[in-house]
Parts: sequence; structure tokens; C-alpha cells
Amino acid sequence: MNKLVVIGIVAVSLSVYFSMTVFVLPEKFLDKEQFTPVPHLEVEIPSTEIKLGESFRVNTISENTGDYGDIHIVSAAFPTLTKTDGIVRIVTYDFSNSPIYINPGDEIGAKYSGGLETVVAQYPQIEAMNRPVHPGTKYFMDLQVTPEEPGPFTVYLKSIDIPHTSSLSHFPTQGQLDHQEEYVLVYTVNVNP
Amino acid sequence: MEIRQTPLSLLQKKSKMVFLSGSILASIGILLVTVGGSWDITNHLLNKPETFFSPPHAMMYSGVAIGLIGSAISLLGYRNLQDSKEVFRLPLRLKFLGIFLLVGAGPFDFVWHSNFGLDGLLSPPHFTLLGGMLFCSLGGMFGISRFLQNRNSKNKFTDYLLVLATLPVWLAGSGVISSLSLPFSNTDYFEFNPEPTFAFVMATVAYPFFISLMCIVTAKLSNFKPGVITILGGVFLLIYGMTAIVPNFALLESVEFYSMNLIPIVMADLIVSFRKTKKASFVAGGILGSGFYMVYYPYIMYTYNELLLGKLVSPSMIYHTYFELMPQVIQFTIIPAIIMGIIGAFVAFRFSNKILIKN
Repeated sequence: MNKLVVIGIVAVSLSVYFSMTVFVLPEKFLDKEQFTPVPHLEVEIPSTEIKLGESFRVNTISENTGDYGDIHIVSAAFPTLTKTDGIVRIVTYDFSNSPIYINPGDEIGAKYSGGLETVVAQYPQIEAMNRPVHPGTKYFMDLQVTPEEPGPFTVYLKSIDIPHTSSLSHFPTQGQLDHQEEYVLVYTVNVNP
Repeated sequence: MEIRQTPLSLLQKKSKMVFLSGSILASIGILLVTVGGSWDITNHLLNKPETFFSPPHAMMYSGVAIGLIGSAISLLGYRNLQDSKEVFRLPLRLKFLGIFLLVGAGPFDFVWHSNFGLDGLLSPPHFTLLGGMLFCSLGGMFGISRFLQNRNSKNKFTDYLLVLATLPVWLAGSGVISSLSLPFSNTDYFEFNPEPTFAFVMATVAYPFFISLMCIVTAKLSNFKPGVITILGGVFLLIYGMTAIVPNFALLESVEFYSMNLIPIVMADLIVSFRKTKKASFVAGGILGSGFYMVYYPYIMYTYNELLLGKLVSPSMIYHTYFELMPQVIQFTIIPAIIMGIIGAFVAFRFSNKILIKN
């Protein structure tokens, strides 16, 4: 093969390579919208009044109604408790990763920052996590709660999907804020003496 | 005229073949370990496995077992060698050093997981494993190369065995560079992430050097046989694509981008097989080095992101951040990458001349 022909082939091929990989394809990919997973959470608490010593159930069904995501989180927090041992028991759980038990005093992520901003936990919390999360998939976590003291027993529930690029990636999108400064659904069960 | 072979020369020939078989098995074993290792990184990133017993780990330790069998077979062949023991001593020693580290790394890794939970990319057991992979793959590479150098019959297809010989070294070496540059090593117990500036320099210098070194060594050992660099580079891209890109649903579309990397590899192959000279190899080395940021897509982004953007990047956002970084990375690294590619080609010549081909 002629030397000039080889030089020509190499020059043209490398021009195509660098223009495609450095200019054309990056622009094409950057023009595409980033994935936005959208969590939805349904909570069922059959009893709103129980007697001390009895248990009640917190049944959750969560779903990603948006795009593919990396992590799907459902979190249940108990602002009237200091510990969950012997009080809260997970009875149904189909998430891919083991639940994380957060205790008061633990350093935890805040403001949907993925850990860039942190706060100190004020009350116990259980986090269920699934990695990754495909669109339309549903996850179940049911808790059995046996309060040890009479009075109103409050449960905070929320779901967050990662990447968290907008308010679409958390549920609920408004309402009360918890210790992580993130929105939660609030449920209260009265425990009668 | 019929050439009669003496029993001694037959034994010699058979022993060399046994040694070659052991070297091939050792290389296949390390190939499995490296492929499993690359898959393991992706598995950790996407699924965060909680136990030691995961499919990538199963693949890696099956590879260790095959490597161990290969090393034992090499020893068997080596013991019956008569006149070329000196030639095959270094490959055998490297294989055994590698296997010793690999076999030790398994229980070490298990104990580490049991005590400290999920470990990062750079941890004492992982670095032991990487060291073992590198030594054992070098043993396989030296063994295969020296066998090809010492063989009596010239079969034009056996040169392609060099691809199998160098591929595990390339993957194992890339693993070492990745563990010293990717910020995947902080855990609840230890902070082993490399310092961002060090990681930036390490990636910019070592990746282009290593791409060029591996491709040019293989080409040189095959006497610049056309297609050797293309096959080597193509299989490397295929393995990397299958273990780092395809498992991540969010990156599937970018396979089109990644496959473009075959262009500089084919061009380097064309240059060195057209002009079988040092100068042509330096040009090819420069070309190979210049594409390192694209060849090591997607995880290399995390190294440059640490210093240039500092963004929190979850796995589905990788390509957005990767392409966002591209102009800056190319601007900072293109010249050093070309220079390191040329240096890689220079070292490849010395390496193949003085270490591998020893009679």
C-alpha cells in the first residue's frame, strides 16, 4: 500500500474519531433529558385506635412511576420513640438491600442532598432500599408496631428516588418536614390505656 | 527425508507443550479474575452487594482455581525440561508468586468483609488480589511469549496466542491504575480514596502509557503481524463494555460512543503493520494514548470529577457528567496522553527485547 494512502486513511479515520467522540456524540447525549425517577407511596394503617399492649400494622406499597433510577428508598420514622427494639418489627419486606436502622444521634443525609448535607438524627428511623429501580416496579414493606406507652403514636413515612434531580423524585412533595428537612406523610394512632 | 526424533528431544518437546498449556491456563484463569473484577466494580456501584458470595466473586475465584491448576501444570512441564530451564524459570516464578498472593487474597478478603463489611476498591485484600493478578498474568505472558520464541515449527496462527498472553496483563494493570485513581475506596471504617490531585495525575499518566505499552509489546512480539493490535484492543473493549457499560441500564445507549474506540486501535495496527519500525510504533503509541479518556469510559469520569466538578454522581448520571467533563479533560490531558503513549511504545520495545525474548 502506498505510504500516502495509509497517511490519508489514518488522518481521515482519526478526524472522524475525535470529532465524533469529542464533539458530535457528547452534544447528542448532553441534549437528552436526564432520568427522573418518580416515587409514589401508599400507606395503609387499618387501626387508628388501639389499646396499650395491642399492635397495629403499617403497610406500605411504593412504586417508581417515572424513569429508571439508581436507588428507591422508603423510610419510616418514629418521632415519639427513642428506640425501635421490641416496638417496631418488619413483617413484610421485598427490597433488594437489607433495611437500615437509624438511631437518635446518628449522622444522616438531609435536604435530599444524597449525603452532601448532613444532620443528626433526633428519633429512630427505618430505611428500606432497592438498587436499581426500574419503572413501574412496586415494593412492599409492612411493619408491626406495639407501643409501650399510652398516648398518640406518630409515624412519618416518605419515599425518595435517586438520582434526585427535582422535586419529582420525592414523595410527598409538600407538607410536614422531618428531622432530615424532607417532606413526610404523618399518621397518628391513639394508644388508649 | 524423514527426521527421526530421539526420546530425549521428544520429552523436551512434550515438556515445552505442557509448560505452554499451563501458561495458557494461567492466562485464562487471570482473564476470568480480571473480567470478574471489572464486573464486581459495576456490581458494587449498581447493587451494593452485602455479602462476599456474589456472582462476580464466584467468577473471580473460579479464575484463581484455573490459574492455580495452570501453574501446577507449568511446574510439571518445567521439571522435565532439559535444555531450556533457564528460559522458563522466570515465568514459572512469576506465576507462583502471583498464585500465592491470589490464593491468600481469598480468605483475607473474606475475613476483611466479615470484620469491616463492604470494602472499597482499594483495600489490603483487594491490592493483594491485584498484585497476584499482575504477577500471575505476567508469568503467563512470559511463558507463552518465550514458548513462541523457542518453538521449532512456525504456525502463523500461534502468534495470536499473544493476545491471550497480554490481555490479562492489560486488564490487571488497568485494575491497579483504577484502584490508585478512582474514588471508590472510602468505607465506614477506612478512608482509602486516593488524594484527588494524585489520582488526576495517575490516571493521566498511567492509562495512556499502559494502553500503548500493551498494544505495542504484543505487536512487537508477533513481529508486527497485521490484526494483532486490533484483536487485542477489540477484545479489551468488548470485555470492558460488557462488564462496565452493558450491566448499567442507563448507559446502554452509549455503547455506540464506546465502540468508536476501535478506530484508533485499528489505525495503530495499520501503522505498525505497514511500517514495522520503531518510529511507526511511536506514532501508533501516541495515537493509542490520546484516546485513553474514551477507552476507560465510564468510570474514569469519577477521577476527573473529583477535582474538576466535585459533583455527586449516581450511576445513572455517569454519562451526563462524563460528557460534561470531556472538553476540560481533553484540554488538560491530550498532550500528556500523547507523550505517555509514545513513552509507552518506547518502553514496549525495551521490554519485549530485553525481558521477554531470552534464549
